Amino acid sequence: MSSITSLKYFETTGKITHLFIQFTQACFSRPFYLNRLLEQIVRLGIGSISISLVIGIMTGMVMTLQFGYGLEKFGGTLYVPAIVSMSLMRELAPIFTSLLIAGRVGSGISAEIGAMNVTQQIDALRALGTSPIRVLVVPRVLATMISLPLLAMLSGFSGILGGLFIAQTEFNIPPGFYLNKVFSSLSYGDVFGSMFKCAFFALIITLFACYKGFQTKEGTKGVGNTTIWVVVNASIVILISDFFLSKLLILLF
Amino acid sequence: MMKKILELKDIKKKFQNKDVHKGISFSLFKGETVGLLGYSGAGKSVLLRSIIGLEEIDSGQILYNDQKIDHLDENELNKIRQRISYSFQSGALFDSMNVFENIAFPLFEHTILSEHEIDLKVSQVLNLIGLKDAKELMPSDLSGGMQKRVGLARAMILDPEIILYDEPTAGLDPVNIEIILNIMQNFKKRGFSGIFVTHDIPAAKKVCDRLLILKDGKIHFDGSPNDFDKSQDEYIRTFSMSC
Repeated sequence: MSSITSLKYFETTGKITHLFIQFTQACFSRPFYLNRLLEQIVRLGIGSISISLVIGIMTGMVMTLQFGYGLEKFGGTLYVPAIVSMSLMRELAPIFTSLLIAGRVGSGISAEIGAMNVTQQIDALRALGTSPIRVLVVPRVLATMISLPLLAMLSGFSGILGGLFIAQTEFNIPPGFYLNKVFSSLSYGDVFGSMFKCAFFALIITLFACYKGFQTKEGTKGVGNTTIWVVVNASIVILISDFFLSKLLILLF
Repeated sequence: MMKKILELKDIKKKFQNKDVHKGISFSLFKGETVGLLGYSGAGKSVLLRSIIGLEEIDSGQILYNDQKIDHLDENELNKIRQRISYSFQSGALFDSMNVFENIAFPLFEHTILSEHEIDLKVSQVLNLIGLKDAKELMPSDLSGGMQKRVGLARAMILDPEIILYDEPTAGLDPVNIEIILNIMQNFKKRGFSGIFVTHDIPAAKKVCDRLLILKDGKIHFDGSPNDFDKSQDEYIRTFSMSC
């Protein structure tokens, strides 16, 4: 049984790698579908702004509250801005936003492609002499790779502002001091490192979603199973790869 | 003598343990429409899908204008698919696009026509299929028969040399069947060829020059509709009575 599972694991990994190679080849050869890319950025990226803001603000507020009361006992309230901003920008905003996108966008893409597959629309694309990779995969992967880092940064900065509100109202930390501490503790490496991580997570989410969408069988039941598989597996791979990417980024910056 | 534009030589195809095709050979000539008949599960649709590379054959050869087209890579196949088009049984319309966008899709993909020219061409085809007022409708707003007609229109918009019709009349009322058959005849009159997969023997006799009967993974009968009617073969007689 375990050998069968291992074989399936390697088969899936191989197929996703093959999809990645096809995606890369399609990115560097004509035709390009810029209008489809913009359409997906609006749909996947701009459509996720509000929920990213909510996650960022609430996380920033909770973090400030918890660290504020925790550090108050040791007289360390003044360290709250630095701790909150660094943890938000380096880890929490990228991870929370990516997990959110895995749920919202990953499941959406896999369900859409899966439904197209079971209704023969993917076959129709191929029969009309068009590559489904170019038309469906490339715009979605690129749109998410562009949108997710920006959404994570938006989430991070909105979290800092949420933290500022709590720092001022609960701990009487002046906004000027708070922002000064935030900007002096954050580096460009934190921002770009997080954006790099998010672009990688976006690649994972969308490749998983597209791969599983193309594999969907068994009608609507299959579409449901596909979305579950994508959200669960993309989330696990994001969490595992986050450790290794964080380690790499700490070494680099 | 008519020119042979498509030739299938000893096609074999297996799914897991089931031999679907055990050596199918036939030719399609220019301007000819061939009916491919057989019971459900005989492998008719698989054969059509194999011709345009949606399924890979295990052995044999598929020649289009004397060029071998089986086992081509996807880029090469995409060029062939602009000359041999496929009309899906369900229509397989893109549900995020309206009727106009569905039909215009191949033109935007493969031609350099202006938007005005595309609009004109799509309008002509919509007139031909009797759906000139359906341009803005979404596939979900269409009946099954209308969806099949739009699917047919999309398949013929690039003026392909061959259209593969996968059960275009299945599940339709007599009026819609008549409309579809008229569209197919119209296409035939313009000199194009077709392979018509169906269970509907009267419909096949109406538009086809030749009928092929698939049995046990092989071509059991290859002849004109007249020969089909006159055949004394027991299987043909039973098939004819049951469909």
